[in-house]
Amino acid sequence: MKKSEVCVIVSIIIFIFSLAYITSLGGLGYLPPVDVRKLAQIYLSSTYNPFEPTNTSSGYESVTAIVWDFRGLDTFFETAVFYGAIIASIAVYRGVSISTKKKPIGMSPIAKTITRLSTVLIPTVAASIAFHGHLTPGGGFQAGSVATVVIVLIVMVFGLRKVILKGLTKPKILLLRSLGLVGIGLTAIGLVLAGLVIGVNAYIFQNQAKPIAHISYPMWIDDILVGGSLLLFNLFEFVAVMAGFALVLMLFSIEEEEVRKVIK
Amino acid sequence: MIEIFTLAFLMLVSIASVIAAFKAIIEKDMVRAIVYSAIQSAMYALIFYVLMAPDIVLVYIPVSVGITPAILLFVTKKTERYDGD
Repeated sequence: MKKSEVCVIVSIIIFIFSLAYITSLGGLGYLPPVDVRKLAQIYLSSTYNPFEPTNTSSGYESVTAIVWDFRGLDTFFETAVFYGAIIASIAVYRGVSISTKKKPIGMSPIAKTITRLSTVLIPTVAASIAFHGHLTPGGGFQAGSVATVVIVLIVMVFGLRKVILKGLTKPKILLLRSLGLVGIGLTAIGLVLAGLVIGVNAYIFQNQAKPIAHISYPMWIDDILVGGSLLLFNLFEFVAVMAGFALVLMLFSIEEEEVRKVIK
Repeated sequence: MIEIFTLAFLMLVSIASVIAAFKAIIEKDMVRAIVYSAIQSAMYALIFYVLMAPDIVLVYIPVSVGITPAILLFVTKKTERYDGD
């Protein structure tokens, strides 16, 4: 074993043990208790509470309720930061065009067949994560990143040119991403707009009725719990995250020679 | 009993993740290093699942096993595959 490898092992062991020792001494702040805390009790009791309609979110899932209802503005700005990063990547790659004249080079028929099967299975899982985001663990971001995996697979196995020849071009994905963002924005201010029209009070990021704002998104549609704005937010976030990630990955997969021609 | 089993499982998975991280650091072939890094991330996903954070698991698996290795593979394709001394 080389000297550098020994150094790596020793430093990893020292790091792990010192971190564990500091944490057990309380050096990283006080350790949270194991039992359910007061704040968690409030969240759990108001996530789904049909007996108190003005103090409830409308899904069974606390995490989605916290992310898109109790702390909706936080998530909105997180989404904004994420799209800022994606816009920066697009700006770096501005002017880079992908020539579709050359024949697309793909992998072996085995890889192609497996990928064809995955193009049905993975989006199904992603859609179930997005549509059930307010009922079971999951949500828009999770579903979007799962769906991105299939686009990565297709780009890697069939080649980027094949994807573009099939019609999945950069402007179309940008349009999809913008539609997702506009959807998130409109859902956030939807009740305010409706309130302006019919002349009642409403808040931004309001989901269910509040004591002085008696307007709300539908909680149940025909015996199905739809979760009001949670389902809409999850769906639009799913589209936006999938399109954003797919766009960046497609830009990354362009050959270096083509990029060099423009960047130089 | 179940607590001891959970803690033992967590310890095992944590040690496996540390070994995978070590292999990823010392590996000269970037593609193999990316695979080791994905194994380490899969171990972390198991830890998240045992610690009852299914939301994090659902986002951690596609991002760390699917998207991050894909980005790193594209970057490796654009630069060099083998790390020289």
